[in-house]
Amino acid sequence: MTADEALAAKLDTYVDAHRGEIDRRIFSDPEIFDLEMTRIFSRAWLFLCHESQIPKRGDFFEAPMGRDNVLVVRQKDKSIKALVNTCTHRGNAVCRAEEGNVKNFMCTYHGWTFDLAGELVGVPGMRDFYRDELDKSKYPLRQVAQLESYKGFVFGTFDPTAPPLADFLGPTGRLSLDMIAERGEVEVVPGIQKFVLNTNWKFAADNTFDFYHPQITHISAQAVGMIPTAESLDSGGAKTDEGKSLGVQRLPTDLDNIVMVAEYGHAISGPTRKAVEATGGKIFAWRDRPEAQAALGPVGAQVAGHPHVFPSAWITLGAQLSLRVPRSPSVTEVWWFTFREKNASPEEQKELLSAQIHSFGPAGFLEQEDGENWSQSTLQTHGTISKNVPQQLKMGLGRGKIRHEGGFARIEAPVNEHAQLWTYQSWKEWLKGTSWDDLRERTTPGEYL
Amino acid sequence: MTLQDDLAAGEATLAQMLLQYRVERFYVEEAALLDRHHYEKWIELFTDDTHYFMPIRRTVPRRELHKEFTKPGEMAFFDDDKATLDARVRKLATGTAWAEDPPSRTRHLITNIRIVEDDGAELVAESHFLLYRTRLKSEENQWIGRREDTLRRHENSFRIARRHIFLDQTILLSQNLSNFF
Repeated sequence: MTADEALAAKLDTYVDAHRGEIDRRIFSDPEIFDLEMTRIFSRAWLFLCHESQIPKRGDFFEAPMGRDNVLVVRQKDKSIKALVNTCTHRGNAVCRAEEGNVKNFMCTYHGWTFDLAGELVGVPGMRDFYRDELDKSKYPLRQVAQLESYKGFVFGTFDPTAPPLADFLGPTGRLSLDMIAERGEVEVVPGIQKFVLNTNWKFAADNTFDFYHPQITHISAQAVGMIPTAESLDSGGAKTDEGKSLGVQRLPTDLDNIVMVAEYGHAISGPTRKAVEATGGKIFAWRDRPEAQAALGPVGAQVAGHPHVFPSAWITLGAQLSLRVPRSPSVTEVWWFTFREKNASPEEQKELLSAQIHSFGPAGFLEQEDGENWSQSTLQTHGTISKNVPQQLKMGLGRGKIRHEGGFARIEAPVNEHAQLWTYQSWKEWLKGTSWDDLRERTTPGEYL
Repeated sequence: MTLQDDLAAGEATLAQMLLQYRVERFYVEEAALLDRHHYEKWIELFTDDTHYFMPIRRTVPRRELHKEFTKPGEMAFFDDDKATLDARVRKLATGTAWAEDPPSRTRHLITNIRIVEDDGAELVAESHFLLYRTRLKSEENQWIGRREDTLRRHENSFRIARRHIFLDQTILLSQNLSNFF
């Protein structure tokens, strides 16, 4: 048994779906992180960028793929390639800018030059030093194994055997991206917010579905009107360290949630559209367009929760995509891609942008406190005693009756932890390193969660 | 040069020094309010039509330096009017803004103050800042950058009618921006 196999064999005890318990070492163990890099981030389709970011020939955007960085480049024929940003000579990055426009990429170490398609086209001293004996065709930049777009969202995978993107996404993953794509003709607003958190990436992923935390974590944002409030939550005996009740306001949407769980670990969880609209939310007008209605379908149209495309892309209700980029077991970068509808009026665009800037990101009224939670959760995975205290995901455990309809597997319930548990269960199957067919089989939703 | 020329030049220099002194005093008093958590007093220093803006900075080649910062109307870290800035202050005052409770410890060092325009009613002042912060037991951050302010003359002092903050970081190296610059 190899070390990786020995580790994989322990995964069923690390993620105990029956008890709803997670071993904290999955957030801190460097060997698990290494396995994640090879068995998840080198295999899965990963979101790279949106086509609107690179409209012209030679436009590029550098995107992370696990421990590698790729240059997503618009080609002469308007197609897109993703080139691994490492010179085939001595390894330096052939491009050190985050985005821009180039005619070709030249490594600034010795000058090896690659065209937009990654072909080696220039070698200083080809005649004088190499005596014309170097076969340039053998040293192109490495590329992703497969690259595809879904409605403008560019994805890449390093695995040549990965299923087509549309199959990987499945109905739930496609619905997730439709939450942005079907708003109309969308484009990325210039400026990707990027910031570094001292957290394991899975805490951020898990939190995507957590509608239990806003009423405490974001109580200050609620107090200044960023989140609608309703009748008081049963406090269950919760008090501050001064012994006071915080008068916690339940979110008005909390009793009416939809969860969707899907193959390969994708999920959506949160309130229904009806529940959000009952609070006066008017953010769904775009869904009334006939094209959007057709794309979302009757079941998809009810969803107003948070979609997560496994492993690391969260789509918000406000037309943003938050990419969580693992850098080490306890360091994650968050990259926010922000979208606008090209044909919306300047006033509508301004209103949406304001909501986007002020909700999430490092200065957002909400995410300031989220980052605090994730870094604290990560910190406590290191204590000799603390690391042996399991994480609890017991809310609604065993009560989630899954209804299969229209290609979706959904649960209707009050606030719950089904989607978090689904994410960890699927994560575990990815780490076992099984074939794509087995992986799909093992991450196919059953009857209950 | 005549004696009168000399005196006139001296007066102009004195006027410049006085203005420089007033602007510097304004900034150190402002910094003191922030570092003592007197945010309700601090926000009074802003005009009702203020724009508090921190763009996103990107690593670009020298020839594309004009694209380094995002502009208003594009994505930013801060893009606040007075009402939003005021909401941030009220949020901190709730006692439940957990990113700042326990409060971080900050020190605003403001230097290199240059008055680059003065049309009488308003002046444009550039300053450099070092915002040093520690949080909880051992978290430490520092942000260095440049502020470009429009200062509107108000009574014997100023009100900030525009503050654009240009940080010397591209990927932000902190988990949040829960403080003011």
